[in-house]
Amino acid sequence: MKLDPSIIARIQFAFTVSFHIIFPTMSIGLASFLAVIEALWLKTKKPVYLEIYKFWLSIFAMGFGIGVVTGIVLSFEFGLGFARFAQMAGPAIGPLIALEVLTAFFLEAGFLGIMLFGLHRVGPKLHFFATCMVAIGTLLSASWILSANSWMQTPAGVAIHDGHLTVLSWRHVLVNPSWLYRLPHMLTAAYLTASFMVAGVGAWYLLKGKHQHFARRTLALGTAFGTVLIAGQVFIGDILYGTMLKYQPSKMQAAEGFWEKQSQSPAPYYWFIVPDQNNQRNRFQLGIPYLGSIWLTHSLGGRVEGLRNTPRDLQPRMGMVFYAFRIMYGLAMVMFAVGVASLWLRFRGKLFSSRWFLWILVFMTPSGIIATLAGWYVAETGRQPWVIYGILRTVDAISPVPAQALLSTLIAFVCVYAVFITAFLVFAFRIIRRGPAEAPPHAEASGSVKNAFRPYVLDSPERLVNSNITQRS
Amino acid sequence: MGNSNQLHRLQSMTAALVGVFFFHAIIGVFGLRLAIAGLAAFVLGAVVVCVAFPAQGAES
Repeated sequence: MKLDPSIIARIQFAFTVSFHIIFPTMSIGLASFLAVIEALWLKTKKPVYLEIYKFWLSIFAMGFGIGVVTGIVLSFEFGLGFARFAQMAGPAIGPLIALEVLTAFFLEAGFLGIMLFGLHRVGPKLHFFATCMVAIGTLLSASWILSANSWMQTPAGVAIHDGHLTVLSWRHVLVNPSWLYRLPHMLTAAYLTASFMVAGVGAWYLLKGKHQHFARRTLALGTAFGTVLIAGQVFIGDILYGTMLKYQPSKMQAAEGFWEKQSQSPAPYYWFIVPDQNNQRNRFQLGIPYLGSIWLTHSLGGRVEGLRNTPRDLQPRMGMVFYAFRIMYGLAMVMFAVGVASLWLRFRGKLFSSRWFLWILVFMTPSGIIATLAGWYVAETGRQPWVIYGILRTVDAISPVPAQALLSTLIAFVCVYAVFITAFLVFAFRIIRRGPAEAPPHAEASGSVKNAFRPYVLDSPERLVNSNITQRS
Repeated sequence: MGNSNQLHRLQSMTAALVGVFFFHAIIGVFGLRLAIAGLAAFVLGAVVVCVAFPAQGAES
């Protein structure tokens, strides 16, 4: 069997980037969640917030570490697997990735140590500042990467002469047409991921009858954040849908599962299709009547444009885009329903005692990660056959590397990443099973950086805690 | 008991319908202005409910 290097290079990148995105999504969301929790702790001095902080800090740290390591791999893959892409897009996206390192990574690297290990070594306010800087670092990182990826989706501010790309306007490269909507969409997805993770773990403890106080507080916070965020996400998603319909109509045509140039009126909303790309039709389709017109055209009888409006050689694979979009959108609807139900149960005073709802929250724990992955599949598979939309095709971007070399590195990635994910899951479940450690009521340090260099702090944090209590009393 | 159950069921259905309405408003079915208004009203309502009902036993 002859192996196609372009297919293997794409599978390799799809695998490594899919694995990677799980961890930044968690760490972006959890970093901001930790900043909010620490602010609440500083404001109220309630020990439960410190307990929540310490508990989620451990999981954040593991996710952050894996996210950084797996992210570095992607930069190498640009050069090794997609050399033509790196060569062409380098002038535009190279500086964006460099700026991510110079701003976000340096900021995170500078304050991460204080955030992780400095709670007893620096003052609470400085520690809170460090947490905020790490959270801002994750936001900056997301901004640069989304800017680079959005430029690949909707390239702007460049000119091409003899196959070489020249940047005409950095402002247009940075603030390209889809970035303004894709960035908040991704950030909200990350915050939703953290909210549902936090609420899910709280619900699990309540179902098991363990760590009640911690569980109630985390569940109350997780559902509150999740409810507000999902409403915003649905709104941003709809605006982004309209933007992509304008700039990448083929992606949205594939996402809706219609082939005809104009669908029937009223158009149904398909939930299940068996697409036949070769014959440009669906072998089978199942949908809800009228809903396609209502949701997609905002009228009762509107028609939806199908994929035949795009020339056949410029069409993405409908099946991938359609089902990725359905998973993302379906999960968003479930999240919205969970949010409304949480408000209702909160109003009736049954948020912590409705076991059916707690079980739903437990099952929804990974929902943010799954929805984010599905969203990225829509973005990336829907852009095909282009790697830079309208400029460079994916098949033309591949390096002249033997298929065997790509296959062997793909197998190596699968093996190494399997170890990563196993280690992460084992340790995360161990932390969850162990539960939040009993946090002392005054675990903060004296408020002076000098204490960090005093040997007794390193020897005995308890002594510092005791001295704090004495000073306060 | 029967009346209480029926009332509870009616209230739950009303809450679900309100949720469906807000979802459709926010995704722009009734236009952009109503989408923005729907989003603002939903977020405000959610914040009010979360602040007014911090959930039983959350504080101790």
